[in-house]
Amino acid sequence: MLFAIGVLALLVAGIIGGLLRAGVSVPVPSASRWPGQAVLAHAFLMICGFMGTVIGIERAVAIRHRLAFLAPAASALAGAAVLCGLSNLSSWLAAGAAASFVVVNGVLVEHQRAPHTALLLTGAIAWLAGNLLQLLGSQPAAIIPWWFSFLVLTVAAERLEMTRLMRRRHGAAASLHGCLGALLLGSALFSFSPVAGGVVYGLSLVGLSAWLIACDIARRTVAAHGLSRYMALCLLMGYAWLAVSGAAWVAVSFGLPARDTALHALGLGFIFSMMLGHAPVILPALARVKLVFGWWFYVPLILLHVSLVARLGLGLDALGMLRVGAEGNALAIALFAMTMAGSALAWRVKHSSKISRAVHEPH
Amino acid sequence: MNEELAPGAVAPYPYTGPRSLQAPIDAALRQVVDPEVALSIVDVGLVYAVTVTDKLVHVLMTMTSAACPVTDVIVGDVEAELDKAVPADFKIQVELTWEPSWDTARMSPRAKAFMGW
Repeated sequence: MLFAIGVLALLVAGIIGGLLRAGVSVPVPSASRWPGQAVLAHAFLMICGFMGTVIGIERAVAIRHRLAFLAPAASALAGAAVLCGLSNLSSWLAAGAAASFVVVNGVLVEHQRAPHTALLLTGAIAWLAGNLLQLLGSQPAAIIPWWFSFLVLTVAAERLEMTRLMRRRHGAAASLHGCLGALLLGSALFSFSPVAGGVVYGLSLVGLSAWLIACDIARRTVAAHGLSRYMALCLLMGYAWLAVSGAAWVAVSFGLPARDTALHALGLGFIFSMMLGHAPVILPALARVKLVFGWWFYVPLILLHVSLVARLGLGLDALGMLRVGAEGNALAIALFAMTMAGSALAWRVKHSSKISRAVHEPH
Repeated sequence: MNEELAPGAVAPYPYTGPRSLQAPIDAALRQVVDPEVALSIVDVGLVYAVTVTDKLVHVLMTMTSAACPVTDVIVGDVEAELDKAVPADFKIQVELTWEPSWDTARMSPRAKAFMGW
């Protein structure tokens, strides 16, 4: 429980950092040091502190080994350390977290030798690369692509597993590996040539978006009902933002003012959309709760995407759309958290009177 | 109770046990849906075998991925559905296996049609 509150606190701190960056007035204690740190470390808090920890917990639950929780514990502590201004300690903890996570995914590959587990391991290595670059004092422009690659590879691996249910098109595996190879090449190029890195990175994201739209089961499950359709819509909208982000990474390389689009179409449009889609399935697994699914899950989802369009699509800073959009993004995440909590509570109320007579054998 | 069925007589997995329980157990397993794929675990082909012996329902099943964190949720759902379907004095045991690994040949015709095969 304490761990969950800590992870949530990192998310809140990361969001506050992002809001302050976008020029939103947030009532934070002026004497405290952490808001300033949250502004400086917004990407680190969101990707390493929050996402890295959640993904680490997810994997630890899957492989059922206590030591696997070392990775998310270290990444959460890294987030806390950076808020306390202990940047050096934070960098070491983050590197340790990623290194542990590589080991966890290595165990997973041993357990199940499959293309998607190999991709999960590759994603963990990308995270380690970013965190080692941070430890060595590299510029954020060289680090952040590795961090995003970690998230993108993790999502791609999970979707690759699902695409096995569909008849694979000729050349699908080769084209996916081509896209992901380009993603890693682009990530590495940023340290030497940001322009070349941005072009390769952006094109790889566009290619991956096309691959996911063509090969993912979401095109099939969107025809289903209830939670399955909701998840499919989250995925498909996320894939569209992935393409937008890719185009923006290329545009930034050519000097166009699309940096916010490159970062947030990817971080919010793609990654958070994946999160909103999967949280109703993953949270019950991690927190051992059950949820009542209903139309209300669409409210934060729609708000997230509409506010992102306002922020990026209508990207007219002069009209304050960045600020308004960022507020909408934060509100969508807060609404989603409330939706999840309310749905868990609703399930409890609905089922409190039913007493299970199950007699289980340990397994 | 001692009446045995040939493996796979009705369901697409080997079933051993009393005929009277086969249909309710199969129906219960078909209630467990993986929301990610909008199909039941039976249609996806995750159920490898069901054996009912001496007041014990044993389900041997797999997951499509060892990295799947919802394994415990699905196992819990299987237990909950079987709990409703079998007599109260039966114990329920769900065993996970990774051998043989799941592949698309295990999908039901309905699942394959849904996924556009």
